[in-house]
Amino acid sequence: MMQATNQPAGQAQPPAALEPAASKGAHPMGPPLSTQALFARFQRNGAADALTGTHAGVIVDAHLQQLFTEVRSGERAGRIVELQGPPKTTLSIDAMPIPRGGAVATIDDISERVRIDSMRTDFVANISHELKTPVGAIAVLAEMLADETDQTVINTLSTRVVEESHRAARTIDDLLKLSRIELSHHLDDEVDLRAVVGEAVARGRMAADGHEVDVETVDTVDRLWIRADRAQLASAIGNLVENAVKYSDEGTVVQVSIRRNERWVEVMVVDQGVGIPAADLDRVFERFYRVDKARARQTGGTGLGLAIVRHVANNHGGVVSVQSQEGAGSTFTFRLPARLLGPTPEVDDSVDRSYSAGVQPASDRPRAPAETTPPQKVSMPDE
Amino acid sequence: MSKELRSNFHEQLTEIRDGIAQMGAGVTELVPRATQILLDGDLEAAEYVILGDNEYDAKAVELEERCFSVIALQAPVASDLRSLVSAIKIIADIERSADLCVNICKAARRIYGHDLDPSLRGVIQKMGNQARVLFKESTEAYLNLDGPRAAALHDMDSYLDDLQRQFIQVIFESHAAGTIDLQVAVQLAVVARFYERIGDHAVNVGDRVRYIVDGWVPEHPYAESDNDPPEIVDGVIVPAGQS
Repeated sequence: MMQATNQPAGQAQPPAALEPAASKGAHPMGPPLSTQALFARFQRNGAADALTGTHAGVIVDAHLQQLFTEVRSGERAGRIVELQGPPKTTLSIDAMPIPRGGAVATIDDISERVRIDSMRTDFVANISHELKTPVGAIAVLAEMLADETDQTVINTLSTRVVEESHRAARTIDDLLKLSRIELSHHLDDEVDLRAVVGEAVARGRMAADGHEVDVETVDTVDRLWIRADRAQLASAIGNLVENAVKYSDEGTVVQVSIRRNERWVEVMVVDQGVGIPAADLDRVFERFYRVDKARARQTGGTGLGLAIVRHVANNHGGVVSVQSQEGAGSTFTFRLPARLLGPTPEVDDSVDRSYSAGVQPASDRPRAPAETTPPQKVSMPDE
Repeated sequence: MSKELRSNFHEQLTEIRDGIAQMGAGVTELVPRATQILLDGDLEAAEYVILGDNEYDAKAVELEERCFSVIALQAPVASDLRSLVSAIKIIADIERSADLCVNICKAARRIYGHDLDPSLRGVIQKMGNQARVLFKESTEAYLNLDGPRAAALHDMDSYLDDLQRQFIQVIFESHAAGTIDLQVAVQLAVVARFYERIGDHAVNVGDRVRYIVDGWVPEHPYAESDNDPPEIVDGVIVPAGQS
């Protein structure tokens, strides 16, 4: 929280010259007042002072001037200010008079709160939509079936009933998968990450077949054992690869690579697909969040894939991130802490050296201690 | 008495500077907003920005008049005079940039209902981001009278120019592939020009900041060589490197 305080210059009224500007009130740029003109003393704490000299500080100051004028009536006043960013920031500025004269204002960065609020509202709307749509469709189709005598129509309708039931089942499966992730008791399983990635790539290739998208692995280590939940890892990496294939244009390549340094083991999935608009970038890991609703329907996903990926990463003390430009493709990076490295049966030096700077020589590689520290659990605000 | 007069004069200078900084900060917010309006086809927000432009125009006139009256009544000299003369030019640059944001919103209305390729959208986003960065830097350079920061704007602008060329190329490709109409293609080419112009105005503001700080002017014969002092040959000033 930031704080700015002021003490008026002794007189109850602001200087006459300031009155007309102050009465405009809603002017988005605020009246052109200098701080010194309005207040005898104007103090800021460190956090508020950090805004000085920035464009955000100028905007905040303009609002502060108006609020300090408003609180002269003895009532507290406040407003919400949105800064476009990136990153988009929402500030709540509140001013209140203090008994011995003067006023105090607090500037609160409520961006996270606003983001969580909208996430919660959207989630409730989306989950009811995702579950009700197939159920509604099944009900209507069943009603039609009941009155139908033509066998061809009956066949078409019943196929649709089956499709819609599968869709509902997939959504429910994914929801259950999501809730089970945090209850996993297998986080200490020894898993060959390369094999998991290999399987995901193979599945991705199968999914890509009708789609002319090439899936290739780049620079993959021979063996990399980590302590993790195998099923979760397979589902997370599988989701990333499948997503990349789904949203790739024909004739493009999806590249999957494993990299490691002293701190992280990471799986990168790079595609040359449609990309993600900047405005949606920090929301794609939310449950049921769709960038392009029409396209999402065609691809047949449940809208939970990336939410599962994020949960798996968090559950292992890791993190998943995305970089993207519309039309140029996306890069998803799934990172796990290197302390999850398991006992490596044999070490192939030549492979290790082919990795980027920052990789320790094989001999110095941290072996997993006998008593592996439990993975750090990151609690997500939306859970 | 005279001390009070001067303090009043300095207060007036501060007020003008605050007013200009507020306009600059306003446009810094307006650029990403216009970009989002263009990408989302948000007609309501477009209308809001278009109507809001009157306030920028009014503010520009008001600040300019203040500058004239201070120059006329206080007869400023040296850096005070430079800052007031520059203020008049900076106000015009900022006001024009607000107009360009309005033009982007009008273009959004003209192409409403036409889908844009992801590749077009990606470059629009990049141009919008870069134009915002330029305007933010120029506003903050002005606010802090930061010469080196202002001088960096030329190079930052060349990236925006590159993006504009790249965007024109993508427009040609999209049009050739038949994904956008000729009319939309033309509108988008104009939009690219708007961003490029916003960048140029930010650079102008930066140049003015340098002038306030140390008297550097782009129009000087030696300005091309960026701060290299001129050489004096036979008592005549010639640009660096030409003697």
